[in-house]
Order: sequence, then structure tokens, then C-alpha cells
Amino acid sequence: MTTLGEDLIRRMATGDREACARFYDRYAPLVFPLILRVVRDRSDAADVLQDVFWEAWQGASGYDPGRGSPEAWMITRARTRAIDRVRAVRRRSATFVPPIDEGLASAPAEAGGDAAERAEDRGVIQSALQALPPPQRQVIELAYYAGLTQTEIADRIQQPLGTVKTRIRLGLERLRDVVGRST
Amino acid sequence: MRSHETFEELAAVYAIGGLDGDDLIEFEAHLAEGCDRCTRVLRDSGEALALVALAETRVVPPARVKAALLARVAAAGARPTSGARSRASWVPWAAATAAAAAIAALLTGGFVATRYEAQLGRMARETAVVRERLQREEAALREQVAVYGQAVELLREPATRVVDLHGTGPSPAAMGRLIWHETAGGQLFVANLPPAPAGKAYEMWTLGGPAPQPAGVFQVDASGRALHRLQPAGGPATTFAVTLEPEAGVPAPTGPIVLASR
Repeated sequence: MTTLGEDLIRRMATGDREACARFYDRYAPLVFPLILRVVRDRSDAADVLQDVFWEAWQGASGYDPGRGSPEAWMITRARTRAIDRVRAVRRRSATFVPPIDEGLASAPAEAGGDAAERAEDRGVIQSALQALPPPQRQVIELAYYAGLTQTEIADRIQQPLGTVKTRIRLGLERLRDVVGRST
Repeated sequence: MRSHETFEELAAVYAIGGLDGDDLIEFEAHLAEGCDRCTRVLRDSGEALALVALAETRVVPPARVKAALLARVAAAGARPTSGARSRASWVPWAAATAAAAAIAALLTGGFVATRYEAQLGRMARETAVVRERLQREEAALREQVAVYGQAVELLREPATRVVDLHGTGPSPAAMGRLIWHETAGGQLFVANLPPAPAGKAYEMWTLGGPAPQPAGVFQVDASGRALHRLQPAGGPATTFAVTLEPEAGVPAPTGPIVLASR
């Protein structure tokens, strides 16, 4: 069965600009909080958002539903571009310390478009990250939101590299379990 | 060799974008071989992370982003429909298309560059490994060719003798053949001799005078083979022997004889 998201991507691949607009309406409010949380600056985040959708428009024909949902496709792309932006900033300023604090993205909350079929699960899933043992949650946040590599994390938290890897694996396993149960 | 469990751990770190260094190179190579289990870990992790990200409070992005995106899409996607278009309307379209194309090229360039940087790094590493191995193999082959060259030169001399050595005592299966020339020295070929224990080596002796003369120490490889070059013995040599000695060699034999000529 084809979801609405998949259908829109397929139409974008044929050059359907109307589909692009609808795709944006549906997914921009979903990916923007992540971008904002990673890059922190609203104006930078807006630039990244536009690039992410531009890439999606251009790469629509390369989308393979077998490799992930449209949500995962967009979120992965958004996170990668946001981290690229953060790393570029970090290269320019050697003293930059990546953000790890919470709550920055909990700015104006509004329901956006017709998106999020799994809205009812939000509470469960958000608390899945919160519910991780703090050491696992810390390494996942450092990697995912602050864009640190395993070696940088090991340096940052003063733990052996093997410990960092194991914590990431255990944390992700637990997230997969929770998400798997709630969908 | 890594166990598959280690790869699944690397897959988790890869999924979250945190893999670097040799781990990244190894994991991408593993993934390129088409590992179903790791592909599944990546997909499931990606979905889980996406749902976590999607569970954040929604934020409506600035309206200008959508306007800019759609303008960009329209500029890139526009096509002249007929030759009847006036020059005046065609020029701004061309300019917009060129600008959009330039921006797209820049973005794509950056994107492609980072992807290929990682791939180039991996290829450079693999190439370096292969080159190093080839250099080692080439050096070993050159050495062998030199040894055979010397042996052939020695065999051309009418005064050259070929002497067989037989395993004795601890290594009855060992065999040796010595190509020997009184003034040019010789070349020893050994087979079936067990590698010397740690701290030990084999030492060659020439006999003919009042006492055995040392003729150099050598080691055998894992397959029990050895090539050993002998300098001329300063005096007549009629018989030859090999003993097991301390690694650095000794002036007079102390250890058991492992090979001897008759």
C-alpha cells in the first residue's frame, strides 16, 4: 500500500510542482524542529530547511520505499544537512561547543498541515528517549543532535571508545523496541 | 576478523552518524558487500530516530522558506513552450535558470564532495595497503632471484661441488643441498627443518681444518625452508654441518647437530 508521502514523492519525481508544495506543507513542520534544535539559529535553520526540500525535489526519483519511510528519508536528510551546517560553523570557530541542552526547539507549537499519521504515539516515543538510562541518552544526543563522532564523544565524556559504541548500540536497541511496540 | 556482532554495533553508530576513522572504512566496505542484517539494523534505527525526532513539538517554519523553495523549483523546472516567446520574457527566465543552476551546482558540489571525500579516503587507504604488500613481495622475489643467480653462477664453475646434507638427531626429515666453491663460497638450500625455538638460530659450519669454522647463522621460514649464503672458508672444507645455537651465533659449536654431510 502506498502512503500519501510516497505518492507525493513519486509525483515530485515526475516534475509535479503542486506535489512539491503539498510535500513541503506536510513535512516541513515535522523536520524543522530537528533542524532548529541542531543548528539553533532560526535564520540558519530556515536556509537548511530550504536546501533539504530542494534536495528532496531533485532526488525524488532516487527514493526507495524499501529502504525507509518518507519520514525517515526526510529526517535523515534534514539531520545530515543540519549537522553539515553546524560543522561548517565549528570549523570557522575553533572554540565552538556543540549544543546539548534541551528545550530550544520547544518554541511556538502549532499543528502543521495534514502530517503525522502517528501523532497519537508522540508521547510514548518522545518519552522513549527521555526514558533511556542517562549515559545512553547522553551519547545518543551528542551524536544525533550535536553531530559529534564516536571519537569526539569519547573525548568529550572521557570514556573509552568501546564504551561509547556499546552505549549507542544499547540506546538504539531500546529505541527500536519502544518504537516497534507503538507502531 | 570482526565478529558480526561488532558490525552490528558499528551499524548502530553509523545509523546515528557517529562512525569515523577505520571503523567507518571497515563498516562501509562490509555494507558494500550487501549485508542484509546490517542493512536492516540501519533501516530500523533510521526509522526509530526519525520517530523520536518527529515526536518533538512541531514548529511552523518561516513562510518565506516555502515561497523561496517554490520559486527555485519553478525557475529550474520552467521550459520554454514555443519559439513564439518574446526575447524580453526569455532573458529573465534564462537568467533565473542560470542562477538556479549555479546554486544547485554549488549545493550538489558540496554534497558530492563530502561523500566522495570519505570514499576517496577509503580507496587511498586500500591502495596504500596493496602497494605496501606488493613492495614486500617484490623485495622478497628480488632476494630469491639474486640467490638463484648466485647459485647458477657457482654451478658454472668446474671446481664447484654439490653436497647433500642429511637430517640427524632431532630432525631426521630435514634435508639440505649445498653448492660449494672453495674460493667463491657457497649457497645452502634447506627444507623440512623445523623453525628454531625463540632466541635460537641455526648455525652453519665448515670442517676440514683442526676445528669447525663458523659459516653464518640463519632462520627457516614457517614451511621449514631456508636459503643461506656462505662466505669462503679461509681453508679447505671437506664436510659441512648445521647446529642449533643461540640466536647471535657462537664461535664454536655447542648445540645439537641437525644437518650434516657424509
